[in-house]
Amino acid sequence: MCILVNEKTQIIVQGITGGVGSIQTKLMLDYGSKIVAGVTPGKGGTPVHGVPVYDTVKATVSEHPAEASILFIPASFIKDAAVEAIDSDIKFLVIITEHIPVHDTAYIREQAEAVGARAIGPTTPGIICPGKTKIGIMPASVFMEGDVGIISRSGTLLYEIAGNLTLAGIGQSACVGIGADPVVGTDMIDILRLFEEDEHTKLVAIVGEIGGVEEEEAAKFIGKMTKPVVAYIAGRVAPPGERMGHAGAIILRGRGTAQSKIDILRRAGVKIANRPSDVVSLVKTCL
Amino acid sequence: MRLFEYEAKEIFRRFDIPVPNGAIASSPDEVNLAVGKVGLPVAIKAQVLVGGRGKAGGIKSADSLEEAVERVEELMSKKIRGHVVRRVLIEEKLDVKHEYYLGVTIDQLSGKPVVMFSTEGGVDIETIVEKKPESLASKKVSVSRGLFQFEARDICQQLGLHGSLLLKASNILHSLYNVFNQYDAMIAEINPLIVTKEDKIYAVGAVLEIDDNALFRHRGIKLNLSERVEDEIKREAIQQGLSYVKLDGDIGVIGSGAGLAMTTIDLIKDFGGKPANFLETGGGITEQLMEGAVELVLKDRRLRALVINLYGGINPMPAAAKGIVKAYEKLRPKIPILVKVIGNQQEEAWGMLESAGIPVVKEIQTEVAVRKLMNILGE
Repeated sequence: MCILVNEKTQIIVQGITGGVGSIQTKLMLDYGSKIVAGVTPGKGGTPVHGVPVYDTVKATVSEHPAEASILFIPASFIKDAAVEAIDSDIKFLVIITEHIPVHDTAYIREQAEAVGARAIGPTTPGIICPGKTKIGIMPASVFMEGDVGIISRSGTLLYEIAGNLTLAGIGQSACVGIGADPVVGTDMIDILRLFEEDEHTKLVAIVGEIGGVEEEEAAKFIGKMTKPVVAYIAGRVAPPGERMGHAGAIILRGRGTAQSKIDILRRAGVKIANRPSDVVSLVKTCL
Repeated sequence: MRLFEYEAKEIFRRFDIPVPNGAIASSPDEVNLAVGKVGLPVAIKAQVLVGGRGKAGGIKSADSLEEAVERVEELMSKKIRGHVVRRVLIEEKLDVKHEYYLGVTIDQLSGKPVVMFSTEGGVDIETIVEKKPESLASKKVSVSRGLFQFEARDICQQLGLHGSLLLKASNILHSLYNVFNQYDAMIAEINPLIVTKEDKIYAVGAVLEIDDNALFRHRGIKLNLSERVEDEIKREAIQQGLSYVKLDGDIGVIGSGAGLAMTTIDLIKDFGGKPANFLETGGGITEQLMEGAVELVLKDRRLRALVINLYGGINPMPAAAKGIVKAYEKLRPKIPILVKVIGNQQEEAWGMLESAGIPVVKEIQTEVAVRKLMNILGE
């Protein structure tokens, strides 16, 4: 099956009339995603690829009930657009937009949490359940249906790892990009929980990278999981950044480097891939 | 974007955070004026955007005008941790009785700002907090609710502050949160906040870093990239909207995402090569951006090869290819270039690159591309 969404999930597209929004809507429709309507303030009434377009989310959902929204909205307007969706009772938001101010993401996350909604991203490629639906911008060709769940902080690396698996004939149950911004709507550990509960996922692959403490926190849950977990962490060669102030260091306490993530995950029983292609051989030994 | 200490203190002052009497200077005349304004003895602080300034000898003091002039010349003639000193901040020298630490940053895990206060301020704050966690009190803040003054008082009281010090310190902590909030800061910090022998309180060390992605709503802040970013290639990268980090090797790297670029670098190292840089385009590739990226990386005289690794999810690959070809034909680089392109209209992109004579890798695996490059280099 799939986590978070499925082939029946009704989706709206915020920012559907923009260049990227319009192209990606077409690609999602081609994949079979159930896009029921689009929103662009001021452009209501002009359909895009046969999808009806409205001026506001409220007007959209009154005509087309939807559970999910994918947002192709410029960073400076995203806070408004995301809260608009949350206020209209959309429970699942996919925020594709890059370069969103961290304070805005923090605000969106807080609003979503308050009403039991969930945002993934920002700076995410979205989510794909191969063969069922995709709410995202990932190139469909590198994915295939199967039973490996992938969680990735990086979009491009998600494609690389999924592509490696697909080439080896190993399909995926769901692939989720959680983004690598300082604050994200949904953490790695949340997705791990969902994969652990999903009966169609047999194994989880984590694609991590330096920065933040997502992987370190995830390790706390992995110890309790019944399903095998493999991980690839990018950024082992990255030099430590020049730092100002002490606040970051006080919070991180030595965590956040590729090595710290690898060590902590390994201690939790995760098999670590040194190269993207190693993910394939590790998955094969676990399945 | 990081602000210089004197810029951060300007802002702190506007939020009623007491800062020492001070003035900036970069010439003997200005030192003269500054000392006249501040009064002797003075502290002289190099204005550089790098941590560990004190330990690197970037802070001096002087008891006379002559000595001040001398110290300033000394500071300005050297680099502090690789950073040019363009000006110094001259401040009244204060008698320190106690040092505190105040900081606000984003707790990445909860996605909330976290306000911190410690009774053990100073340069070694993180190691002290590690050893004596009880010297730190902190609180996560709801962004929609903000920090109340009573909450700031609670934090300070936890560490035993009382009386007028409790009020003064908690007011400053509250103001610091307001600076953090109103300036879209990644970090706002006072280290140290000092109490003098006369029981006066001053923010002596000030750090303020603003979220680059939020600069669009802080137009009052001067960018002055030439002062803030030392490396010329990096500066140009920022202007073009690219993310660039210089490394110490000789193989140039361009990736269409941070993760992909990092992996490319890791693999180069794994296969015995040395990456010269990290460059990430992000999801907004256009022909111009790509052309600019290639030109930028090729400016690096150390390069022996360049690998470009692109995945087109949101990025249109033909536009990227066009940009690469344009830069290639303009510069005619003598070093080998290898381009891996997968995704969004890949066939069209491959055709464009191949007809320009640029070798293309069509496999999904980055390892294939890096191995090919190492073979070309004979390693």
